[in-house]
Amino acid sequence: MIAPEARLGNDIARQFAHLPEDQAVESVVRHLETFWDPRMRRALRALAAAGDDALDPLLVLAIRRLRDRVPHQETEAHP
Amino acid sequence: MTLTPEKDYGTPPVATTDRATVTIDGHEVTVPAGTSVLRAALEAGVEIPKLCATDSLNAFGSCRMCLVEIDGAKGVPASCTTPCADGMVVATGTEQVRRLRRQVMELYLSEHPEDCDGCARGNCEMQGLARTVDAAEVRYGRPHTREEVAHPAPIDLSNPYFGFDPAACIVCSRCVRACSDIQGTFALTVEGRGLDSAISAGGTEFLSSECVSCGACVQACPTSALQEKSVVDLGMPTRSVETTCAYCGVGCSFRAEVSGEGDDTRVVRMVPSKSGGANEGHSCVKGRFAYGYAAHRDRQLHPMVRDSIDDEWRVVSWEEAIDKVATGFRALQAKHGVGAIGGISSSRCTNEEVYVVQRLVRAAFGNNNIDTCARVCHSPTGYGLKQTFGTSAGTQDFRSVDQTDVILLIGANPTDAHPVFASRMKRRLREGAQLIVADPRRIDLVRSPHVEAALHLPLQPGSNVAFVNAMAHVIVTEGLHDEAFMRERCEDVDAYLAFIADPGNSPEATAEVTGLDPAQLRAAARLYAGAPSASIYYGLGVTEHSQGSTMVMGMANLAMVTGNIGREGVGVNPLRGQNNVQGSCDMGSFPHEFPGYRHVSMDDVRAVYENLWGRPLDPEPGLRIPNMFDSALAGMFRGLYVQGEDIAQSDPNTQHVAAALRAMDLVVVQDLFLNETARFAHVFLPGTSFLEKDGTFTNAERRINRVRPVFPSKVGMDEWEVTCAIGRAMGYPMHYDSAAQIMDEIAATTPTFAGVSFARLDEHGSMQWPVNDQAPFGTPTMHVGEFVRGKGHLVQTVFVPTTERTNRRFPLILTTGRILTQYNVGAQTRRTSNNLWHPEDVLEIHPSDAEVRGISTGDLVDLASRVGSTTLRALVSERMPPGVVYTTFHHPVTGANVVTTENSDWATNCPEYKVTAVQVGVANARGDEAAEEARAPLESRS
Repeated sequence: MIAPEARLGNDIARQFAHLPEDQAVESVVRHLETFWDPRMRRALRALAAAGDDALDPLLVLAIRRLRDRVPHQETEAHP
Repeated sequence: MTLTPEKDYGTPPVATTDRATVTIDGHEVTVPAGTSVLRAALEAGVEIPKLCATDSLNAFGSCRMCLVEIDGAKGVPASCTTPCADGMVVATGTEQVRRLRRQVMELYLSEHPEDCDGCARGNCEMQGLARTVDAAEVRYGRPHTREEVAHPAPIDLSNPYFGFDPAACIVCSRCVRACSDIQGTFALTVEGRGLDSAISAGGTEFLSSECVSCGACVQACPTSALQEKSVVDLGMPTRSVETTCAYCGVGCSFRAEVSGEGDDTRVVRMVPSKSGGANEGHSCVKGRFAYGYAAHRDRQLHPMVRDSIDDEWRVVSWEEAIDKVATGFRALQAKHGVGAIGGISSSRCTNEEVYVVQRLVRAAFGNNNIDTCARVCHSPTGYGLKQTFGTSAGTQDFRSVDQTDVILLIGANPTDAHPVFASRMKRRLREGAQLIVADPRRIDLVRSPHVEAALHLPLQPGSNVAFVNAMAHVIVTEGLHDEAFMRERCEDVDAYLAFIADPGNSPEATAEVTGLDPAQLRAAARLYAGAPSASIYYGLGVTEHSQGSTMVMGMANLAMVTGNIGREGVGVNPLRGQNNVQGSCDMGSFPHEFPGYRHVSMDDVRAVYENLWGRPLDPEPGLRIPNMFDSALAGMFRGLYVQGEDIAQSDPNTQHVAAALRAMDLVVVQDLFLNETARFAHVFLPGTSFLEKDGTFTNAERRINRVRPVFPSKVGMDEWEVTCAIGRAMGYPMHYDSAAQIMDEIAATTPTFAGVSFARLDEHGSMQWPVNDQAPFGTPTMHVGEFVRGKGHLVQTVFVPTTERTNRRFPLILTTGRILTQYNVGAQTRRTSNNLWHPEDVLEIHPSDAEVRGISTGDLVDLASRVGSTTLRALVSERMPPGVVYTTFHHPVTGANVVTTENSDWATNCPEYKVTAVQVGVANARGDEAAEEARAPLESRS
């Protein structure tokens, strides 16, 4: 059974997969930081740390860039 | 005939800048050229008698009451059909016209029974007009009773809401014209000739006819031959209250005509307001007639509590109920953390009620776990239009459709879900505009009386983005795009052009996915791009997909590529499902946004609310509804305040929702009825119907409209007062003197609402936001000259197929929708006579799919997906394409959402209701049991 955060995160990652990798990773990060509750982001980190193989590789890269505390003002997530 | 008729000019206004000056009974008046003499006379202060004329209909010239004399002209023309010419001199009260009017009226009265109920009630225009024209005597005799008229016919009482008495009818054709010209259904006609002529609902009784019970004919009838049964039962109303409908996102204005005062107030009828900006005097069967739920015996009028969801409810005082809520929520936060509780606001509540709920969550709960039912319908609209245009709302007013040349209708069924706007759309189509329908199902607008779509594209569910990209591909590769507009108004132009021109986006390359004939799609693209003004209207068939947000952006691309944005007749227009979806989103109901769509991380915005509300606010987004469910099942989310929303019925994957609700320690439901969600609740707080509310709704065109209380709250408190009381009981000071004061706070803190107040709305009528110094009376058309975000953003909308796929086990795709007479989860309409038309949800299935399964219309069938199954009756229908089945979700017993999955829009988590892989088969014995349960009365079910 895939974790909800993994399922939802994979859905996001698939939308940005067409972009160059760095841009795709940044887009996923921005989306997660703009719209996701920090507890869900922490859950994603835990899944990645546990080596959950259900995570999309792009999502795994994005999880590594997630910040603990989002310092930004409003951001927009452009696919 | 209504209680306090709005001024009726007899014929519609003429839109032209040319002017004509005429003299009528010595009064000089200048009017738009082409204006009827009848209308010009009233504008000059001269009222000409009329019967068949009304300003909502084009002139007909049949009643011969509005005769006038014109200098230099022969005879006595009907003023309703005579246009003003410059210099014309008109006399309306000469002895000749007075005599003729008296004689005509005598003829009418000679066929009008003296025992006419309408005359007795004072509800017959003809009676008053007879006095006006001095027709005191009838030389030809007059029938004493309705049985004595020349051609007596039985009264038709088949419709649950109105009756038709042919004996009182003068065959003025106002009803026929209202049905055709306003409603666009063409259900009524005049049969026979001369004295034998009679109004007919297509040769059958009203209930069996094509009539959609919009009531336009009843409102148009000058004699009460067509009469609301409620008027017969309750007598004529004595006063009226102007308010706003609580059904769909059209947001029609109504005058609630009532009798009695205070708690004894009874609604006699609802009359749509001509001055209503959204509906301009029209209505549908729900808004006009289906208001009885507000006084239904199922209404729960007292707070109730229980310790466990297996216990019986116990009626308690407001104080005890609110204390249980506050104590329980605080205890859960103490044990499980500040984020362990949250709230859900409702699109059926007012802006003021919704605003207060989000304040409660953000300031008193101390988190951003606030979400709203827009999550499951139009959240992708908010996301997609903000990303591309800069604001989360449609671009036009409804009136804009009057100027359009081509309508691209995607994933919407306006004649069922937004019927008043559909009538307006049909009128424009009859005037010559062209229609493209992109929908798997052959909706009524594909072909109905005097309306036929130029193209119907029955695309496969789940292929919207491939479709919209193919449309843009054709436009760009065939050079039909407006490059000058794109260069001036948009950004990322070159990247987008390169993306969309890729052969992978062509109609031919995407045909396997969309299921569309490439030639048809190319024709649609050429038609849309070639129109002087083309508009897009869409519904949940766009948003409720795993790529709902991408599709919204794809449609925005299409508008920008063709320059169809920023003026009348164009735009991207969401048809919102519920009356206040737009408003509930505007009011900061999303967990990442404050009111006005400003992100919670914006320090300056947060500071405004922190200063005002006196609490530090969380700068991080909170949980969305589906996240709350997942978190509940993980044991971290323990308490929920649900205002006016039935998540156990409306949200997808019912088993998952039920399990999440069961996992919570404290579920608080505030509603009119003990709905499905209340089965999992520990506290029930009675809510108020729209007839008790004081506030505002904001409709799909951003129109902020007043909702005024018709009678006092039946539960003793307004809903916003209850919300504030919860906050105070939790130790957070939260108080407003009135709903108007809440709106004042909204206006003071939300730039797009800066100029809004109850006083201004009461004085000037409804307004479309933004309402501010630059647009003190609102903004009908957005993005004129410049997008809200500056440059429009052309997004590369890559098609990513849904993960929900058919296979051998689940070979069909289920898609869901609405029907005209029911609304959403049916909590309101199922408690009215609307059930007569739609007593149960049915499964529409194509004949070929039915045949291979041995299914006939009326059979009980099992509908199963990978998450659940349910039983309902089949309707074999060629409206469906092969491979796709369809049902509605108006009846809880059907449990359509038992089979829908947790798949959702990637950006907003709006559920993918429109794509569920299913299997259908003839039901076994379980089906009989389900059918028996379906037939049981509502109150006997738990």
